[in-house]
Amino acid sequence: MAVDVASGLATGGPALADIDLSDRDFWVEPPEVRHAVFDRLRAERPFAFFAEPEIPGMDVGPGYYAVTRHVDLDAISSQPQVFCSGKGAVSIQDIPADLHEFYGSMISMDDPRHARIRRIVSKTFTPRMLERVVDSVRGIVEDVLDEARRTAEANDGRLDVVADVAAPIPLRVICDMMGVPAEDRDQVLAASNVILSGGDPELIEDQDEPLAALFEAGIALAGIMERLAAERLERPTDDLTTALVTTEVDGERLTHQEIASFFILLLVAGNETTRNAISQGILALSDHPEQRARWTADPSIDKTAVEEIVRWTSPITWMRRTATQDGEVNGHRFTAGDKFLLFYAAANRDPELFADPHVFDLTRDPNPHVGFGGHGPHFCLGAHLARREIAVTFRQLFEQLPDLEIAGEPARLRSSFVNGLKRLPARLPGVR
Amino acid sequence: MSRIEVDRERCVGSGACEALAPDVFEVDDEGVLVVHGTEPADGELGDVEDAVQACPTRALSLAE
Repeated sequence: MAVDVASGLATGGPALADIDLSDRDFWVEPPEVRHAVFDRLRAERPFAFFAEPEIPGMDVGPGYYAVTRHVDLDAISSQPQVFCSGKGAVSIQDIPADLHEFYGSMISMDDPRHARIRRIVSKTFTPRMLERVVDSVRGIVEDVLDEARRTAEANDGRLDVVADVAAPIPLRVICDMMGVPAEDRDQVLAASNVILSGGDPELIEDQDEPLAALFEAGIALAGIMERLAAERLERPTDDLTTALVTTEVDGERLTHQEIASFFILLLVAGNETTRNAISQGILALSDHPEQRARWTADPSIDKTAVEEIVRWTSPITWMRRTATQDGEVNGHRFTAGDKFLLFYAAANRDPELFADPHVFDLTRDPNPHVGFGGHGPHFCLGAHLARREIAVTFRQLFEQLPDLEIAGEPARLRSSFVNGLKRLPARLPGVR
Repeated sequence: MSRIEVDRERCVGSGACEALAPDVFEVDDEGVLVVHGTEPADGELGDVEDAVQACPTRALSLAE
């Protein structure tokens, strides 16, 4: 068995009895520790059952099964009638009624409504349409990297990969696509950090009332939406917000709740996921200098390199499904109401599917990862956009910041849902 | 001769097919998949097969 030397995954590993995926501290462990746990679960307890984490203000439900094998994950993902999203896809607990206004979007919806709503924006995210925005993506990346160099010049060569490179790129891209003006970007970033904080104490100050912070973040983004929506109804443009407020589904406009939650979903999903792919892609290249040299020298591997970064980082760790009926999947019996967390991060290292799964190989081909989700109607809407952003970002990084060096340990987000970095210190050694 | 079939219930207009075979598949302004010529030419068949494989909702198939 081939094993990544850096991760040391060949040895021992954790005891099954000690594993608790609901322990929030587990999620700030470095990736090699988390993957050792996934390896153990996948091999020995592929439908491991866990009690739900306690979150103030939310009812603790019956618990969940952690799906870690690719074959099970894809079977569940591709049977949306049996394993629905409508009970909640992005939280272990069901969404409380007062948060539904902001977070009850199509990601937590089932067909046919899901498909009808998704089609309003799907055109914008097709490869053909994205051809038209690739130049603007490049312009944004160039600007951000120039600004990152200036930041380093003003700080003895020091910069933060997250704040200065990885966060502003997808934030600016999605805000431009939505028509959100530049002066609102900081507020969008702050609100989406709270929404996807996973309760990280650095982002949720009042640990006794995490839902209040979520509610406030929703209000902030909905406020931006309401102002923009009024402007777009008056003067339509070709942006996504115009599509949301003017398109009819089944002869009707979307409701206020549907527009608000859709707007929030696009903004948050559009900037958090790609950020974490970029920041941890940069970290992976730093850990694997031979891969970095290879990619720098050979743009023809852009396509496979981007897929490997998504597989390797798996920016979204899981999505939830809930059984709508009793049944059996690959020998596992379940009953209606059972919750399943589909651990994409685990399936993306499944040795049944990937040769040497813990080896970072930018030329890996085929690479049938589930970093954008498994088969099924909820496959990532922004996959083509994310690929573009990642490809352009790394190509420009090699051009504009070829001397970028990691200069410290990453600060990891304490979230089971988002595999995120809060900070990643770096330097440009030639800059003083 | 192979014929492309689309399961309209399953298609969500992800455009995965369009990325691989842009001459054959196009998601239109309504988010609906349009197939340009349901019987792909020999030169297109490889790309179309890749597109069928890549469809995230398994909405595409090739019938003989």
